[in-house]
Amino acid sequence: MSDTIRLRIPEQLRRDLPADPPPPAARKGGRDRYLDLLRALALVRVVLYHNFGWFFLPLLFPSMGVMFALAGSLMTRSLSRPALGVIRGRLRRLLPPMWLFGAIVVALQVLDGGGPDSDGHPAWWWAKLAFWVLPLSTPPFAADGLHGFGGHLESGWATQLVVPLWYLRAYLWYVLLSPLMLKALRRFPLVTLFTPLAIVIVMNGFFPDQDVVWPRVWETANDFAMFGSCWILGMAHQEGLLRRIPQYVLPSIAPLIMVAGFWYLQTRPVDPTQQTDIEAWPIAQAVWSFGFVAMLLHISPSWEQWPAPLERWNGLVSLLNSRAVSVYLWHVTALVCAVPLIDRLWEVDFFYAHLKWLLTSQWFTLLVGIPLLALLVLVFGWVEDVAARRRPRLFPYPRRPRRLRGRRRNA
Amino acid sequence: MSRHQRRRQSLLRPRRLAAPPLRFVMPLSLLACLLVLLVLRGLSTNEVFHDTRIAESVDKTTVPEDLLTGGPVIDARGDHKANPVSYRIPDKTVVLSFDDGPSPEWTPKILSVLKAHDIRADFFVTGAMTTRNPELIRQIVGDGHEIGLHTFTHPDLAFQSHSRIGWELAQTQLALAGVAGVHSSLFRPPYSSNASAMDDWNYPVIKYVGAHGYLTAFIDRDTDDWKRPGVEEIVKAAMPSTPGAGELILLHDAGGDRAETVEALEQIIVKLQGEGYRFTTISDALGASPAMVPVHGFQLWAGKGFIGATQVAVYTLPLLVGLLALVGFLNFGRFALMIVLAPVHARRSKRQGAWGPPVTEPVTVLVPAYNERECIANTLNSLAASDYPIEVIVIDDGSTDGTADIVEEMDLPFVRLIRKVNGGKPSALNAGVAAASYDIVVMMDGDTVFEPSTVRELVQPFGDPGIGAVAGNAKVGNRDSLIGAWQHIEYVLGHNLDRRMYDVLNVIPTIPGAVGAFRKEALRAVGGMSDDTLAEDTDITMAVLSDGWRIVYAERARAWTEAPASLQQLWSQRYRWSYGSMQAMWKHRRAVIARGPAGRFGRIGLPLVVLFGVVAPLLAPLVDLFLLYGILFTDASLTLASWGGFIAMQALLSWYAFRLDREKPWHLISLPLQQVVYRQLMYIVLLQSTITALTGGRLRWQKLRRTGEVAAAPVEA
Repeated sequence: MSDTIRLRIPEQLRRDLPADPPPPAARKGGRDRYLDLLRALALVRVVLYHNFGWFFLPLLFPSMGVMFALAGSLMTRSLSRPALGVIRGRLRRLLPPMWLFGAIVVALQVLDGGGPDSDGHPAWWWAKLAFWVLPLSTPPFAADGLHGFGGHLESGWATQLVVPLWYLRAYLWYVLLSPLMLKALRRFPLVTLFTPLAIVIVMNGFFPDQDVVWPRVWETANDFAMFGSCWILGMAHQEGLLRRIPQYVLPSIAPLIMVAGFWYLQTRPVDPTQQTDIEAWPIAQAVWSFGFVAMLLHISPSWEQWPAPLERWNGLVSLLNSRAVSVYLWHVTALVCAVPLIDRLWEVDFFYAHLKWLLTSQWFTLLVGIPLLALLVLVFGWVEDVAARRRPRLFPYPRRPRRLRGRRRNA
Repeated sequence: MSRHQRRRQSLLRPRRLAAPPLRFVMPLSLLACLLVLLVLRGLSTNEVFHDTRIAESVDKTTVPEDLLTGGPVIDARGDHKANPVSYRIPDKTVVLSFDDGPSPEWTPKILSVLKAHDIRADFFVTGAMTTRNPELIRQIVGDGHEIGLHTFTHPDLAFQSHSRIGWELAQTQLALAGVAGVHSSLFRPPYSSNASAMDDWNYPVIKYVGAHGYLTAFIDRDTDDWKRPGVEEIVKAAMPSTPGAGELILLHDAGGDRAETVEALEQIIVKLQGEGYRFTTISDALGASPAMVPVHGFQLWAGKGFIGATQVAVYTLPLLVGLLALVGFLNFGRFALMIVLAPVHARRSKRQGAWGPPVTEPVTVLVPAYNERECIANTLNSLAASDYPIEVIVIDDGSTDGTADIVEEMDLPFVRLIRKVNGGKPSALNAGVAAASYDIVVMMDGDTVFEPSTVRELVQPFGDPGIGAVAGNAKVGNRDSLIGAWQHIEYVLGHNLDRRMYDVLNVIPTIPGAVGAFRKEALRAVGGMSDDTLAEDTDITMAVLSDGWRIVYAERARAWTEAPASLQQLWSQRYRWSYGSMQAMWKHRRAVIARGPAGRFGRIGLPLVVLFGVVAPLLAPLVDLFLLYGILFTDASLTLASWGGFIAMQALLSWYAFRLDREKPWHLISLPLQQVVYRQLMYIVLLQSTITALTGGRLRWQKLRRTGEVAAAPVEA
């Protein structure tokens, strides 16, 4: 009613209404369970996608856009403090898990024949290791020529392992540029929001050969631009800009944007016999993710508490949230390691005779990969706590005190 | 049909009245069935999944040399999976093969030529043609010819995924089983010719179908008869390259005029028989087991089911298309009527003093209120600002939330309060009319807000003594949310433009409960408000109209109402509206055969309301059905383009309506989404009310207010 009243009754004649519940203010502490849920969904989707490779998964839930939007929103919340300190804090939390991952991956590469002399330029090899310390560009890895530990792995295993690293590189750049982007957003909201989209359209629409700059620069700039609008959307959400426009605007336009992205994808088949994966087309990816994230942020219900049907997932979601970086970094490793383990089973006669369907199934890889991932998170996850200056825990699966639960039920 | 909703009642409604999930299941499954029928019929006419792309010839690096130079029949089955082998037709033997059929025009002629010479041949049929011409397939099989698969929709398989290839073959087998009770293990890829034409793209297809048990039959001699080069050319092309060599000849029995093929066939047979050739089928020529095997059990019945359903679909389609045409006709007719009549109304309403001398005597404003605690004060305050002399009567219909106390406490000099026991909105209004001091009564809702000029604008038409009632312009106040914006568009386009049209035709069927005015005399003449229907406003409007009064639309009399803010509330509001309107139409059905003004309404107004308000929305799902069918199964871009054109037209009309109503057009960006979410919701509501009306509803026609399902009618103020 209050909208109508505000619209149409002269002020002196208005009678005060119980005001509409004020739009939830920028949250100070506590967790927004909705954002937690989105982050967990994004992680699960990434693992599923890297296992199955189904083309429709990125359409169903554009994880990367969602993750960057959430990160952008959190970053903006922190930026009420001095920017330099915030950036240092972010790096402190991001880098140690990556250093641990890098140390292990590089060590394994050296063991498997990917040492300083493997490509004939030892000086370069050592120099490029700097990207493992600060991933301003993709950290180096041995594309092939590895022995695969006696043939148990493919020679390109390192390529697979470092697949998730681009996210950290993009994240680093977003963090570094966030103070600037926030200033720009406050000054020219619309222009800032759409600039990354425009950049990605220009880069990929007009320079399909990607030969204008050094590939490392291209790659970094392209990834940055692809999800930049999502990151800024997250910032705008945190700033309350999205609540300032009439509420019908976003849900009316976002689907149209998504349709545009989908149309772009559908009209550019890569292989006529197969459905095109949106990861193949940066423009489609950027536009689709942007529309999708806009919808998710528009809905954003700000759950202080779980809605009843979702409460049972609290444990898993909390675990995934407090180990997000570890799960993300190590999940491909787990999936890659699952393959040689499954290969051993071919030698078991019973499996060979009766369970071929199981051994060839991608589901089985996932089934083996998940416990492996849990193990890896158990072994390496504590570094996240150390980086965040928390008490290191092995497996932060939340347990609700029994007494509390009982009291709740009585109430 | 803009009426005001009562928000708080719907919140108070008991839980069991919350819409059951079933309300979506039934309409959706009906639509799904119709979609399946469309697809089946589209399959038989080769409209569905149609793909006309043809792959360019590419390198042959992966094709074994001996296959390229070998015979036309490739065996990549079972043991030959790794190393496919090819077979030649033996010397002095010829196999005639006919592709793309059967066609009702040419296949019988070819069959009779073959019969006359007592010759057996091979027919590579498509699944689409098979489903369309089951009788011919039976005749081909009955005459002892051999049938091979030529896919279902005749695409170039080099472009298709494995699952699509598998589907093409399986679906064709299903059709074959359905019409003739056989499966075939012979296969010929569309757009193929001799074995030497295999390349890196189509060779994997041959291996794939081989792995699934099919023998692929290419050809030796391509007659190019489909280009219609002349009978002589066809015959010449069919002759063996070296005399006496065995050969597999390609002809076509469908896909255009095949008169030359039929004529050439006769000559080919005579000529080759003269050279001592033996005519036979592929499997017989190779000395293999028969390519066709009878099927039994499930496969047979599945095939019969498929063919049966397709036949049903083929016969249903004209009906569906007819209904779709009706929808189109109604929609475009409504658009046209609006475009012609709305400007007439707009011009007329601009004229000052069109109704005679300005009306200045005081009027009574009736505010029925039931639990309007939050809004009643604002409603009355807005009336206090009125620039027209009014007396306000608030009728508290047994509120339990202290609404009456608030009114009393405000102690406004021009407001009278009537407290009564709860009896429903019509009874409250009747009580108000009885207490009214003046001859003209304005009716509004307890949560509606008037502008200062609303009452004055609303009563001006009463300067004309023939006018018995006036409809005002209800506006959505809370238009900032998506659902509010949708309703705003709907009010401006659907309700206000509609009402202009009905006004010009002098058959306004509904005065919105949120803002309307009546002569007391007119109300008395029809016996006041009645609680026969859930839509007392439509009911009374129709009654007044039938009684010979004129009803006009005063567009400048704006009232701001609060539209439902959730889908659940919207659902109950619309359910009540559409069910109530149907009741009102049914109640006044005799107007159709009545004389005088009632007959005029019955023969012009009622049919229009039924057509535009019930028939068109009820058939509207067909539009979505064909849209979905077009996008998913046939030409997506063409379908989307025509649909986009329709939306654009609607947007244009809406923009005009917004301009007439002096509204900013920004909300129109919600129009595309409205068309794919809101519209569907509206017709499902209508469908549900129709089902209620047709089933239990009629039995409880008179007294359904507080019973069972229709207690969806809130206990009204």
